[in-house]
Amino acid sequence: MANLLSRLRDSNAAQSENNTAGSDLSRRGFLVAATAAGAAFGFPLAGYAAMDPAAADGVPVSPTGETFEPSMWYWIDSDGIVNVNIIRAEMGQHVGTAIARILADELEVAWENVRITHVDTAEKWGTMVTGGSWSIWQSWPVYRKAGAAGRTALIEAAAEMWGVDPSTCQARNGTVTDGTNEVTYAALVAEGLQRSFTEDELNALPLKPHEELRLVGKDVTALDIDTKTNGQAIYGLDASVDGMVYAVPMIPPTRLGSSVISVDDSSAQDVKGYLQTLTLNDPSGTVPGWVVVLGDSLMAAKRASERVVVEWQAGENAGVNEDDINARSRELIADDSYGSILPADNTDTSAAFSDAADVFEAEYTTQTVLHFQLEPANATVFQNEDGIWEIHTGNQWQSLILPTLSAALEAPADQIVMRTYMLGGGFGRRLNGDYAIPAALASKALGGKPVKLMFMREDDAKFDSPRSPSVQQLRMAFDGENAVTGMDHNAAAGWPTQVMVPSFMPKGVNDEPYDPFAIDGADHWYNVGAHRVRAISNDLANATFRPGWLRSVGPGWTNFAVESFMDEAAHKVGMDPLDFRLGQLTATGMNAGSAPNAVGGASRQANVLQRVADMANYGRTDLPADTAIGIATTFGQSRSMPTWVGGAVQLHVNRDTGYIDVQKMWLSFDCGTVVDPDGALAQCQGAALWGLSMALYEGTRFEDGNVVDRNLGTYTPLRMIDTPEMEIEFVESTEVPVGLGEPGTTVIAPAIANAIYNAVGSRIRSLPITPDDVLASLAQ
Amino acid sequence: MIKRIFWTITATAAVGVVGFGVYAYKPAMDPVAAQDRPAFGPEVVEQGRILAAAGYCSECHTTADGAPYAGNYAMETGFGTIYASNLTPAMDTGIGAYSVEAFRRAMKEGVDIDGRHLFPAFPYDHFAKMSDEDVDAIYAYIMTEVVPVEQETRENELPFPLNQRFLQAGWKLLFVDFDEYAFDDTQSEDWNRGAYLAEGVAHCGACHTPRNPVGAEIASDQYGGAQIDGWTAPALTADNASAVPWSTADFKSYLTDGVSTYHGISAGPMGPVVHAGIRELPDEDINALSVYLGERTGGNEDDPATSTAIVSTLERGRPDPQYRRDAGERLYATACASCHYNTAQIEAGRPDLGINSATNLDTPENLIHVILDGVSGPEGIEGVVMPGFRDALSTTEITAIAAYLRDARAGQPAWPDLSETVSRMAESAAHAE
Amino acid sequence: MINFEINGKAVSIDAEPDTPLLWAIRDEVGLTGTKFGCGIGMCGACTVHVGGRATRSCITPISAVEGTSVTTIEGLAVEDNHPVQEAWRNLRVPQCGYCQSGQIMQAAALLEDIPAPTDDDIDAVMTGNLCRCMTYPRIREAVRQAATAMTEGGRNNG
Repeated sequence: MANLLSRLRDSNAAQSENNTAGSDLSRRGFLVAATAAGAAFGFPLAGYAAMDPAAADGVPVSPTGETFEPSMWYWIDSDGIVNVNIIRAEMGQHVGTAIARILADELEVAWENVRITHVDTAEKWGTMVTGGSWSIWQSWPVYRKAGAAGRTALIEAAAEMWGVDPSTCQARNGTVTDGTNEVTYAALVAEGLQRSFTEDELNALPLKPHEELRLVGKDVTALDIDTKTNGQAIYGLDASVDGMVYAVPMIPPTRLGSSVISVDDSSAQDVKGYLQTLTLNDPSGTVPGWVVVLGDSLMAAKRASERVVVEWQAGENAGVNEDDINARSRELIADDSYGSILPADNTDTSAAFSDAADVFEAEYTTQTVLHFQLEPANATVFQNEDGIWEIHTGNQWQSLILPTLSAALEAPADQIVMRTYMLGGGFGRRLNGDYAIPAALASKALGGKPVKLMFMREDDAKFDSPRSPSVQQLRMAFDGENAVTGMDHNAAAGWPTQVMVPSFMPKGVNDEPYDPFAIDGADHWYNVGAHRVRAISNDLANATFRPGWLRSVGPGWTNFAVESFMDEAAHKVGMDPLDFRLGQLTATGMNAGSAPNAVGGASRQANVLQRVADMANYGRTDLPADTAIGIATTFGQSRSMPTWVGGAVQLHVNRDTGYIDVQKMWLSFDCGTVVDPDGALAQCQGAALWGLSMALYEGTRFEDGNVVDRNLGTYTPLRMIDTPEMEIEFVESTEVPVGLGEPGTTVIAPAIANAIYNAVGSRIRSLPITPDDVLASLAQ
Repeated sequence: MIKRIFWTITATAAVGVVGFGVYAYKPAMDPVAAQDRPAFGPEVVEQGRILAAAGYCSECHTTADGAPYAGNYAMETGFGTIYASNLTPAMDTGIGAYSVEAFRRAMKEGVDIDGRHLFPAFPYDHFAKMSDEDVDAIYAYIMTEVVPVEQETRENELPFPLNQRFLQAGWKLLFVDFDEYAFDDTQSEDWNRGAYLAEGVAHCGACHTPRNPVGAEIASDQYGGAQIDGWTAPALTADNASAVPWSTADFKSYLTDGVSTYHGISAGPMGPVVHAGIRELPDEDINALSVYLGERTGGNEDDPATSTAIVSTLERGRPDPQYRRDAGERLYATACASCHYNTAQIEAGRPDLGINSATNLDTPENLIHVILDGVSGPEGIEGVVMPGFRDALSTTEITAIAAYLRDARAGQPAWPDLSETVSRMAESAAHAE
Repeated sequence: MINFEINGKAVSIDAEPDTPLLWAIRDEVGLTGTKFGCGIGMCGACTVHVGGRATRSCITPISAVEGTSVTTIEGLAVEDNHPVQEAWRNLRVPQCGYCQSGQIMQAAALLEDIPAPTDDDIDAVMTGNLCRCMTYPRIREAVRQAATAMTEGGRNNG
């Protein structure tokens, strides 16, 4: 456990602004001895725990003949095949393809010889997490150095063979040449190459200049595409182990604090295939009050569970509603003693407001949102013949759940291995791997027998870690000249990081910890004079459900507030919202940016904003009645790795029905170097549409301690017919590549709210925006 | 197909007692040993097989797991249960001892070999229209092809005095016309052949003709439409509710393939009528039936493809970006439209619910049945299924879909008590087929 | 025992008649390309063909498919080269990929009935298939591309 926490702290440090991208991985994980990788493995079934998404059976490629392993991140075999080890989960980003390409480019090998292996959870891989839009950003320096190490070693071996100076040789396409001689990597590896690098040597290795990158930034076909068009891709739901039984959970009335009073399965006895009902005993405390029904088929378990009668003692928050949670947020905001103050050049806004000639304030709210990843949560668990507990599931943060599994199974960490399958959607749901716990406990109760536990859709929704509802109150101070002199931003919501991994929380300037994933975005790059951002944890939310990380996390709602507010403030002082923003994106003080991740600071944000305004022809006056364009700009996920985003949405408002016809969306991204152009575009398309879905179509609410919408009859995400035309551009850049999985999400809701205002003069400050909201606003 | 019985004690109470006993009395007929039955040519046997199918005899005389024609199919009535008799040529418990004359009397007069009156759940009132030659062919088929199975027919579970068979004679006296079909000179050969089949062996009116309070078909309202097993058997007259009038071609396709592009599919009680029955008839007979039924429903032979009804239903079916306004429309767009959508023309495999019979009938039961329990492989278009939403959607959601279809797609006035009907049907078990 | 054909092979399933076809395909037959999403016929991840028509298998009981012919993503084309699959690969439609078997089966059925679909047609038919990664722009484009390929190249698959 201590080991994990230290690792988590390392990760945390890695994403704080003062650290080099990926330093966490390079510092701890980079083993350079050619023979180290095999020896570091502790698990007899290690091979089975890894996975190749391009293979029909998922089994990773085996090397032919000799292998050369310049680092644990890859090997090259005697056929010249390069296998790249990926610690990130594949959930639609084609992450393995992007990361392997970074390495292959630096190594100088042909793409068709590259394979990828999604690895098991051996400790040597370090912190395994796929989220935060971090994967490319963190992998970039690590895999480039690894590739450079291999290239250097192979060139040196060839030079030695030919008796020439290595500097006269160059590598290209898996072949080394000095102009006279030529030798393939395959041949060099077949000779039995040995070479290792010290950390200092590694750091001194020359990386290719940007203009010589041959794979980065070019189109290649992702390695996981084929198996996703013919039914061969293997997801957690597809896990199959000989002799497994099926389990479905019976979920108690409250997420926390429930206990079982009695279980009566007498009516289930005559269900064909029904096996037994287990009341789970959970030393990890993850699933209190859970009952699991077992059958020899999924339907047997499910039909039986419909007949098992369980009486529960519900937890104390069984009566909590969404309104109660929001009322608690307002109560906490009103009391200035709560919360953590985020760093800024000047966080004391008291003078600005006391001296203000004018003050503008507004409150914004967002409803609870479900992940509704299409593959419902599931896990298959058993103890193999070597006594190792195997956890077969899809997971985004293996390092977070393994210690919990260890506690639940009462087995040491080195007796547990997780095989990470393809994820049928992540979106942050599988950062919280709690769904593996009941499967593990059921298997444990059966003495290690394989148990495949599946959540039916309604159960998945009930057990989701949803995006918390939020309340935000913002105010801005103006002097007599209408210049901005200060800004307060108070944001209250349930905090996922606090409830799931509190050690991950940095401290604010008042020494109080805060959840960056519940406040990032509020600490914007506008120069507004004094700037006080107060992040507040809603204790009632945290005690009612498990707040979750959901695609775009905090910036998904903080930017709705910030960017709606910027438009409102501009109108308040009679300025155009574009000019108002550009006037504050001055890139001075803390907003000037810093190397390596935020070079240029707010000037790059101003750039994408101006670009998207031009793309959309923002300000045009020839649009039809009740039709308008709204803009917004964000910096993606966090100040430590800003992805600069400008967004514009054109829509028409139907005054009779309140229907919002989103006609077109434009987005401009500056994410530094684009590694995988097609993958980047796909991520941005998906993220923007996810933003649209949460802006207009998605939202649920808590009622009696649980979410009311649990399936598609009433939970209504965006579909084909709702999908507008989009135009997306990427700013040419050679800067450090940052993330793209989430940033596109963050600009859409405020751009829509601003466009509605521009179209019909209605200002809507709650998400999702429904036709009824529009009609109510129009009626005022 | 009759799976209920349509009589009440009032039928018999209305009959005078004096003289009734004389009328009601029918003598027993002599049994015939198997070896004494006449030999039948293969053509006659084949004709009998086809006619037995066209009368879907086995539907009511076979249980789900039982041997063909061995009886004991339970017909639930409001008064109790009647069990269909064993029609196999078994000597003791079947009809093996029936002579051809005894068989004719049973078919055309509703009296068994022992002289007992049969309950009119057995549609002898229709079979009376058949020629002796056709009845004899069915006899030939049963005696030759059907495997004898000795299986006792269960005692009917009827209370006294409903279980008194002789009282049935009164009902016959009042309501049954025992004359064979009479050729109508004013109509074509095809029409007459169709009428003979429809009114005789196929006994269409048994379901499609409304019945009077004592359960007899109302002759003056022949094919006026009726309720059967919780379904609506639509009118086969000009009163038919379809948005597009039935033509001869529509009936032909429906009776052959179980689907009419502009009306719908044969499901529920009508499923086996087509698939286990009428489609066995030769093409010329199906054609004759279609001519007859087409004319009964109005005789419209225009190609409907360019009709106003089709053009406007296609228009109403276009995807609407505001589909979220109405829950029914939203649910339809996500759960139904992937199949129930047409563009330039209507495909038989993509039933258009704006013009479909189920959405245009005055009663919602047919539509609700199909939403709840779907359509199985042997129903409708053979080998094609529709899923059932019984366990998937709430009654509120199913009500919303039905209301949307009725209003926005069919353009018909709202069904009264729709939500109560959906709830009632959702609570009752899936129909026992 | 329920008998039907799956991808051209006869199968007999010994399960309760109300067992959804989806679970029979996945857990009894062992073909896992067909996915479970919502269980109420509203996401389309479980779409297969029954008698050549797109069918939501999660709410279709096996009793209903007795005697029918079922096709899953694994059997759509012998070499996985149905024009729809090829368009999906060309345009790199899948992200997480979980819904894509259903999307492909739905699109293939769409093009059988409506060989040259308009955007309205694609909206109407494909709106029933949820994609949580929101690959809709690419699905739309891939359907168009497959339609062109099938019209020009003749239909030799599916």
